[in-house]
Amino acid sequence: MKHLIPEFDKWKKRFPAGFESSLVLPCVRRIQEEQGYIADSDIDALVAYLGVPRMQIEEVLSFYTQFRRKPIGRWHLQACRNVTCSMMSAERLIDHLARKLGVAPGHTTSDGRFTLSTVECLGSCGTAPVVMVNDTYHENMSIEKLDRLLDELGSQ
Amino acid sequence: MPEIFINGQPVAAKSDETVLQAALANGFYIPYFCWHPSLSIAGNCRICVVQPEGKNWVEIACNMPATEGTRVLTDSDLVRAHRKATLQFITLNHPVDCGICDKAGECTLQDYHFEYNGERSISHEPKVQSTKFVELGKRIVLDNERCILCSRCVRFTREISKSNALGIKERGDTSLVRAAEDASFDDDPYSDNVVDICPVGALLSRPFLHKARVWYLKPTPSVCPGCARGCTVNLWHRKPEWRLAALDPQQNVSIARVTPLENPAVNGPWICNKGRDLAQIFERPRARQPMQKGKPVDLPAAIAAARRLIGEAKHPVALVSSWGSNEELAAFRNALGNRFTAFVKPDHVPAPGERLQDDLLIRADKNPNTTGARELFAQLPAEAADAFAEATDLVLVWGEGFNFARLPRGAKVVFLNAWLQPENGYADVFVPVSIQTERAGHYTNFQGVVSAFERCFPKQASVADAETLFAALALPAEVRA
Amino acid sequence: MPGQQLIMTFPVTATSHTLADYRARGGYQTLEKALKQMTPQDVTKEVTASGLLGHGGAAFPVGRKWAVVKLNDGQPHHLCCNADEGEPGTFKDRWILEHAPHLLLESMLIAAYALQVRNAFVYIRGEFDLPYRRIAAAVEEAYAAGYFGEAVLGTNFACDIVIYRGAGSYVCGEASGLITSIEGKRGYPRNRPPRLTVKGLYQRPSVINNVETLSNVAGIIASGAEAFKKVGTPKCPGTQLVSISGHINRPGVYEVEYGYPLQKFLFDDCGGILGGKKLKCIIPGGISTKVLTAAECEPLTYDKQSLEAAGSSVGSGGMIVIAEDTCMVRLLQVMLRFYHHESCGQCTPCREGMGWMHRIIDRIVGGQGRPEDIERLYEISRLNDGTTICGMGDAAGYATIGILNKYRDEFEYFIEHKRSKLSGNLEVAGNA
Repeated sequence: MKHLIPEFDKWKKRFPAGFESSLVLPCVRRIQEEQGYIADSDIDALVAYLGVPRMQIEEVLSFYTQFRRKPIGRWHLQACRNVTCSMMSAERLIDHLARKLGVAPGHTTSDGRFTLSTVECLGSCGTAPVVMVNDTYHENMSIEKLDRLLDELGSQ
Repeated sequence: MPEIFINGQPVAAKSDETVLQAALANGFYIPYFCWHPSLSIAGNCRICVVQPEGKNWVEIACNMPATEGTRVLTDSDLVRAHRKATLQFITLNHPVDCGICDKAGECTLQDYHFEYNGERSISHEPKVQSTKFVELGKRIVLDNERCILCSRCVRFTREISKSNALGIKERGDTSLVRAAEDASFDDDPYSDNVVDICPVGALLSRPFLHKARVWYLKPTPSVCPGCARGCTVNLWHRKPEWRLAALDPQQNVSIARVTPLENPAVNGPWICNKGRDLAQIFERPRARQPMQKGKPVDLPAAIAAARRLIGEAKHPVALVSSWGSNEELAAFRNALGNRFTAFVKPDHVPAPGERLQDDLLIRADKNPNTTGARELFAQLPAEAADAFAEATDLVLVWGEGFNFARLPRGAKVVFLNAWLQPENGYADVFVPVSIQTERAGHYTNFQGVVSAFERCFPKQASVADAETLFAALALPAEVRA
Repeated sequence: MPGQQLIMTFPVTATSHTLADYRARGGYQTLEKALKQMTPQDVTKEVTASGLLGHGGAAFPVGRKWAVVKLNDGQPHHLCCNADEGEPGTFKDRWILEHAPHLLLESMLIAAYALQVRNAFVYIRGEFDLPYRRIAAAVEEAYAAGYFGEAVLGTNFACDIVIYRGAGSYVCGEASGLITSIEGKRGYPRNRPPRLTVKGLYQRPSVINNVETLSNVAGIIASGAEAFKKVGTPKCPGTQLVSISGHINRPGVYEVEYGYPLQKFLFDDCGGILGGKKLKCIIPGGISTKVLTAAECEPLTYDKQSLEAAGSSVGSGGMIVIAEDTCMVRLLQVMLRFYHHESCGQCTPCREGMGWMHRIIDRIVGGQGRPEDIERLYEISRLNDGTTICGMGDAAGYATIGILNKYRDEFEYFIEHKRSKLSGNLEVAGNA
């Protein structure tokens, strides 16, 4: 995490004085961007840098769905299963993905390439069904489009 | 001073009070789990709801400012219906562990269930299961199924002990109280207070686990001797009617647990873990046999011998115990104060790793009555040479903790001590004395507050009470034939 | 166009979100007007006079919220834009973040001026990627142009802004959950009192407003309250960005002038129901609003009074359209699963109640329903109404009660026959 500190220092300046605690979420996100998850040593380093109680960071990591304490597959397939997406075939898509990848939602393929998750509304209901792959929204999905996408990602 | 109305009756509230506080202060009981007078307001249990007069809804009372003209009902049908519903929600997933849960008999949920609900669960769903024996260190065990997520324990570690050792992870009905991963909860010297404030049996003391039902025990008020704060405590021990013949007799006269005795002037509702572990201090092996130079003698013989030594001494010095009660200290002063040059000694010094002092309770002076003793006598100087003039020919050592290597060579030693120690056999006269739990008395804490302790265990016949002993020692020695 | 447009007034192009394009449309001239010709009190007065209501779901009068903040009280104040947009069915704030970020920023600067805010925040849900990059880029452009910083437009008004990314929690879209998240903690909502406008972010007076709400401010200050009131209806001025989705032919974001006929919107502007099916019902403003049957929708105009008279509300503007033959039991199951997943877990009725309701409906859908389950769902919903720390408990209750009221027969059927009265598939029949 140490090499990110100059970046964190710059962010600190954008916040008013006394807002060190606020840096927890942005710093955690940045660390995760780099290495895919937050290691215990990252938590220690962040505690030292921000001066917040370790428990605060542990709580934050467990409360927000986007933060991870373990690495996952190279491609994180996050399929929305909320109301509109379900009305637009998301349930079939998720079943298809689970069968095709051979993993249930919440798990990673044994080759470490794909992690399948179901998520709640992504704020893209107009282009349902939506599957978020890592940071990118893939909208208006269908089984055919998913298969093409999996091929593309698998070859990368 | 705002005037509010509770169930139609006028109540004078304080200007920064909530309706809950005003109600409790004026004899109106409103149930609560998550509120605690010494912690911030969480407002999550929702059982303290009251009905604003004239409205058809309820609001929590713990976060309702008592402003002029506020009118609430604490016992209307609507309030009762909501309390019942809240209890149905809380017991939705709460395991009925009462049969094996140490909290039974002093459990707020049990009490409220019988008071405000009294019905079976209406749910057909299996209870949410969770972790049940989570070791938060060696002292505290956590049962997440029993936990009602009131967050008192978390707020305690954030606001009072400031260890930030506890938090709540995950969310929703899979939320879990957890300890921080970098240190043990044992490192928080105030950890055990969470057992008191947990309204259910989620947080329990491991040393006390399954040792006794709380109704087998009775509390005796006492004062913790662990430091100069002198927190008032309750020492819990078996009621006479619950002493079992088949039990190890030692268990019938031992301290089962220690809890705070609430004291606004000294410790509020808290004590530190050293106070919880008083059994470790009081139940060390006791000296019960009077001796002369290690040879067993009976108590009258020992007293007579000591009296002779005192009578013969030309330059006697006394090292007075800082664990002596005010009564014992006064008795020493009255009986022997003229005869001896007396110094107050620290019976206990901080152990390695023990917290020295903090802003909450813990004081660096690990003795309960240095203040009481110093009102009568001078402090023992650090240098042995300053304490003992060359001509010192008798040292009366009262209480433990003095390094006998510092005694002036050639001086006789009369040693009064409660504990089994090798030094007992070295003394010219050794008299075993009683401890705090075997008598009543008072200590004065570092702020000058005087607190009382009471007797809870019998004293053995061969053990002397220092208070009466001093008078006996002052009597003129019998003239030798 | 469903009526007059105030926000979606320009064609979306590859550059319409940039500062240059925004300035070409007259952007940041209103900021100059506010800073140089008006006092902070003038701005708040104008916003109050306009009758602008919040667009986040609660429809609270904006001017009234702002007026609670005491000016010149010696304390720092904060303005937080709620861009969490987590209410299922809602994706309209996203349109502003992606295509009109400078409209939001200019409006925020005007609001910050009115509220004496030195440090403003945009709280954007963590999942949004393009919207985040657009607003972050817009902020950099604005700083470079002198619209943020120590001396905005050369005046002695100073303002800084931070785009704060969330990380996956619906409850961080609740105002007090949002600021607790900005404080770097779990997004636990707070009890009131104290109101956030008295003690909010780090216990300082704070105003939290929705993206769309704030984006109306520039227009109101530019053209005046009277001009704003001419749009919409007398009791419900202005427009609503509606995000419509579900079994509708032309889903998307539309700016609907309040008072516009609902039928016209659904069947003309949005092209009617998928597959030529009949309309069964709509959820007008995010799943936390009560469902309206097709028959109930017929006479309605799209505005606060009309929808409330029909027993629902404008809500977040997230309209979900449901075609005939869609199983409402399965639909409620998806919703309850959502609420259960998103409950923060603080307060008893919601924490236990959401799980309970979810387990009951799972049991019903699994063919193990009991007759008393319907009453139980009603009861749990009622016990979450007004008794929780935040509005999520209430919301789940409204969603449940709304669907149970109108479609009780489907639940009774499912319990008795252990299967759906309809296909049980949520897709439009024939699409699966």
